[in-house]
Amino acid sequence: MIDFSAFNDALGIMFTSAGSWGWIVPGLIVGLVFSAIPGISITMAMAIVLPMSLYMDFFSAIVFLTSVYTGAGFGGSVPAILMNIPGSPSSFATTFDGYAMSQKGEHNEALGYALFASTLCGIAGYVLLLLVIEPLADIVLRIGPVEMFAVAIWGMMLLGSLGSAYISRGLLAAALGILLGTVGMNTAGFTRGTLGLPVLLDGIAPIPAMIGLLAASQLLSLASRDYIIEAEGSREVSLRKILKGCWGTMKYPGVLLRGSIIGIIIGAVPGVGSSIGNLIAYAETKRTAKDSATFGKGNPKGVIAAESAVASGEGGSMATMLALGIPGGGATAILIAAFMMHNIVPGPSFIETQKPMVYAIILNNIVQAIVLLAVGIGFIYVASNIMKVRTRYVLPAILVIATLGTFAVTGEAAGPITLFVFALLGYALNRYQYPVSAVVVGILLGRMLETEFLRSYQLSGGNPLYILERPGAMAIFAVMFASLAMTAWGKRKQNRAEAAEALAMEKLRDEAAAHAAHTTPSKG
Amino acid sequence: MRIGRQTYAIDYGHLALITLIAAAVFWYLLDARSVSLSINNLLLVQPVAIFALALYLFILPQCFHKVDARAAEKSVDEADPFAVKLSTDRADVIRMAALGLSLGLMVFLLDVIGFDIAIFLFAAAAMAICGERRPLHLLGFSLVVTLVTIYGFRALISYPMPTTLL
Repeated sequence: MIDFSAFNDALGIMFTSAGSWGWIVPGLIVGLVFSAIPGISITMAMAIVLPMSLYMDFFSAIVFLTSVYTGAGFGGSVPAILMNIPGSPSSFATTFDGYAMSQKGEHNEALGYALFASTLCGIAGYVLLLLVIEPLADIVLRIGPVEMFAVAIWGMMLLGSLGSAYISRGLLAAALGILLGTVGMNTAGFTRGTLGLPVLLDGIAPIPAMIGLLAASQLLSLASRDYIIEAEGSREVSLRKILKGCWGTMKYPGVLLRGSIIGIIIGAVPGVGSSIGNLIAYAETKRTAKDSATFGKGNPKGVIAAESAVASGEGGSMATMLALGIPGGGATAILIAAFMMHNIVPGPSFIETQKPMVYAIILNNIVQAIVLLAVGIGFIYVASNIMKVRTRYVLPAILVIATLGTFAVTGEAAGPITLFVFALLGYALNRYQYPVSAVVVGILLGRMLETEFLRSYQLSGGNPLYILERPGAMAIFAVMFASLAMTAWGKRKQNRAEAAEALAMEKLRDEAAAHAAHTTPSKG
Repeated sequence: MRIGRQTYAIDYGHLALITLIAAAVFWYLLDARSVSLSINNLLLVQPVAIFALALYLFILPQCFHKVDARAAEKSVDEADPFAVKLSTDRADVIRMAALGLSLGLMVFLLDVIGFDIAIFLFAAAAMAICGERRPLHLLGFSLVVTLVTIYGFRALISYPMPTTLL
């Protein structure tokens, strides 16, 4: 399952590029800090630091960005547990039991459960990726342009259908993204949509567009708030209790395993990502638990299930990104952009020709998950202060950094102007519930989609029945329709689960209020 | 707006957004067709553009709400945890628009008045828009942002960054 010669070379890369190890801790801290601030998402954090990675060598750049990704996976759970506000959508299910534990005064234990589940399942996700990448490479090498086109369309459809409450709006966002991605000269030499501007001949600069859509548009919307979040008073942090929570995680191997498997599978499906994985893992754990009635009232299994799915989902989404070159969502889209900035195209040929580098990236992610344990505990101590940030200081600084970051990528004013145009577009799309990540992935994949479609057309000689000779492509299209149906079903189930959780939390609050009223001695 | 006995509220912002998107898609399709009608040119662009235009027609009715149904929809939106919640309060919208405008002015003036002055003015304007009124804080923090970002990025990037004072 493992190519040991390539594995040895990977260890060589790991130890000869010791400088890149230095990027793990800063990357984790950036990810933890940004995702702990509600309103600033994982993708926004990665988009803002992406231009910095342009000046690193390839391995260091990927180590830095994946560290941000790893740190952000856990960072979002801190406000989820302490304040009932998920730092990112992937921490939503953590609030159900995490905040209930916090209300009972068990916030340290809850943070310990979340941190250790993140670490263990992050490692599990990458170990599995290490084992499957070799057989996966053999499979994906047999994939032709028709299958690649089918997979890319599948990813776009899912991204469009899942990213919004309205499937039609998601699909329009995906179509818009694809069209924006085809602006400029295509592989057949035809130039479209450039408005006569030479700068658009190579297409829309994807990185400034991505930073504008994912980061700047969200930042503009924060202008209406004085504080990014009105935090509750800081709670007492106890290392002993956090470690007790960490140790307690080991008592639930079944929950960890189930959460990991769900996280990996959901994470590997393009367009789905950890924001759904944590909810499914939570719902499944609750459904199969004997004490399901205590879920939503501070059951540690709820925290462990949600966090294990988030952490292991990272390995799953990296599998799709490395093997097929298709981003599962905003975060992996940024990783692909980092690959492109270093003139490397992820996908079947990358795995085949750069196997030691692929192993080195996976091994480094395992190291990151271990380092997260130490950095995460330190972070919990300062987290409650970070969350109470005044927008008047954060907004100007981050917007200036984002603008200069786009200038660093393009070297001309076209970068900042692209950022501005796409920030406005992103703001308007967010305002009316269109999934911005579908536009981002469309811009990244538009050209690839057109090239693969053209190749398929040339191979088939224009005969649509050619698809009958490609069982792989037929299977992918079948899976695509099945997964769209599952999405619709999952959405219904998710809505029901959320309604039930909201009811349980309401009940808990009422009980607490009634208990407080009962125990308070009457005056006079 | 009244149609028959039913009163409808129109979401003009949403209507403007999707109409703008549809107009851009339509223009792009015409532009691509004007370049060449070859299948190598239109294979992906034409069907995706037509799909997008069909979606526009499908989404269009969502901009018109029955007045009674609107209140019910609002409560559903509030229950959706993934719904992006942007303030629609007039004062907040003005703040966001002002911040967007100052960002636009900064990016278009970077080459004209220099990166240093443009960044300083933007930082001060953004702080003021977000509610900072103390002059010392306003000028001091804007200066810090300008110095740190200009010298930081100058050390990082290899392109010349036109500045007036720094």
